[in-house]
Amino acid sequence: MKSEEDLNRAMEAYADMVRRICFVHLKNKYDTEDIFQNVYLKYLLHEKAFESHEHEKSWFARVTINACKDQLRYLSRRKWMPLDVMKEEAEAISGAQSEVLETVLKLPEKYRNVIYLYYYEEYSAVEIAKILGRKENTIYTWLMRAKEMLRGKLGGEWA
Amino acid sequence: MNVIQESMKNIRASEELKRNTLHYLDRQKKRAMPGKVWRYAAVAACLFLFLTAGGFRLYAKPVSYISIDVNPSIELGINRFGRVVSADAYNADGQDILEHVKLKNMSYSQAIDKLLQSEDYAVYLTEGSHLVFTVISEHSDSIMQKLNEEEQSLEYRVSTYTSDMTCREEAHRHQMSFGKYRACQELTQYDETVTIEDCHGMTMGEICDHIRTCKRYRHGRSWNGNSRNGNSGNSNSGSSGSGDGNLENGSWGNGGDQCKGRGRHHGRHHGNGY
Repeated sequence: MKSEEDLNRAMEAYADMVRRICFVHLKNKYDTEDIFQNVYLKYLLHEKAFESHEHEKSWFARVTINACKDQLRYLSRRKWMPLDVMKEEAEAISGAQSEVLETVLKLPEKYRNVIYLYYYEEYSAVEIAKILGRKENTIYTWLMRAKEMLRGKLGGEWA
Repeated sequence: MNVIQESMKNIRASEELKRNTLHYLDRQKKRAMPGKVWRYAAVAACLFLFLTAGGFRLYAKPVSYISIDVNPSIELGINRFGRVVSADAYNADGQDILEHVKLKNMSYSQAIDKLLQSEDYAVYLTEGSHLVFTVISEHSDSIMQKLNEEEQSLEYRVSTYTSDMTCREEAHRHQMSFGKYRACQELTQYDETVTIEDCHGMTMGEICDHIRTCKRYRHGRSWNGNSRNGNSGNSNSGSSGSGDGNLENGSWGNGGDQCKGRGRHHGRHHGNGY
């Protein structure tokens, strides 16, 4: 079992990432709270040591993505919800940003993951392949398609 | 910073969310604790039972046996701590005594004292009776030494011998204590006409007397140069014999019969008598 100290450190280091992955997949803060509890409980009970911070971080990404999938499967709810339901974030998101976000959220689940991991966490395709347990070529294809979709919706300013 | 990073920069885990999660984990840990304590308690209980059972088995397992024969034949099983853990009678007289005298869980020397001093036993310890201790043990020497120190009676004759487990099994097949069986075997060496069945009806005194008579007879013959099978040249092993001691003590039966280990026995005789 992890120590209190480890837990607090992991909370500071990865809470934002876990939160954002939840944001990409889930629609309300109660589900998000469930995910936090699941993920950090798994961390608490994780007996093996991590090789590095990078290893630990990718562990968190993978576990959170899987937890979100489980949660969605369990809830069988709508796959997404308008941003205005999420009052906390809605207030902080300006017009142009909300357009990007909403576009991302409307992508199919697998594209949301690669877009988030690739653009936000800046993982390479190879690393994403490891986190998601897919072949590298699959990741490349998903990335390409996701980019096309975003470009189609957001227009030329999309990188 | 790319567009995606820009769009998500304000999405962060609120302090409330972190706090709630930590609280939840705290509760989980506390809830998990009693389970763990119970698990340890269960393991400890199992271990305790296991050790107790093991300890009891260790205690209850006899490693040495002492057969005490006069006419009552009694075998005491002695565990590695020198305590009597079993007391079995091999004839009706012995049965009768064991019903009245409880010997278990005391040290073997105390048990023998108690036995010999009991009223029921005293009946058999008369002049002319012969008390024989026969010991099976890895430490038979020390046990025999102790028996010798304790038993200083002058009213009846006392001998100590050693035997072994093979003899004990054979003896039990004949419903006889191994002490008496050893004496019978010795007797049949000298007098082929006597069978084990005959011995059932004889007291130890009678058996020993018979052996002595036969020995004396054979010695008489060997002195006349008529030794039957070279058995006469007794090498007196550790004998404290009085009088013509080598009649009572020393080795016998080296003639290679079924019951091994007999060559090694000591005899002791409080000789006020023959």
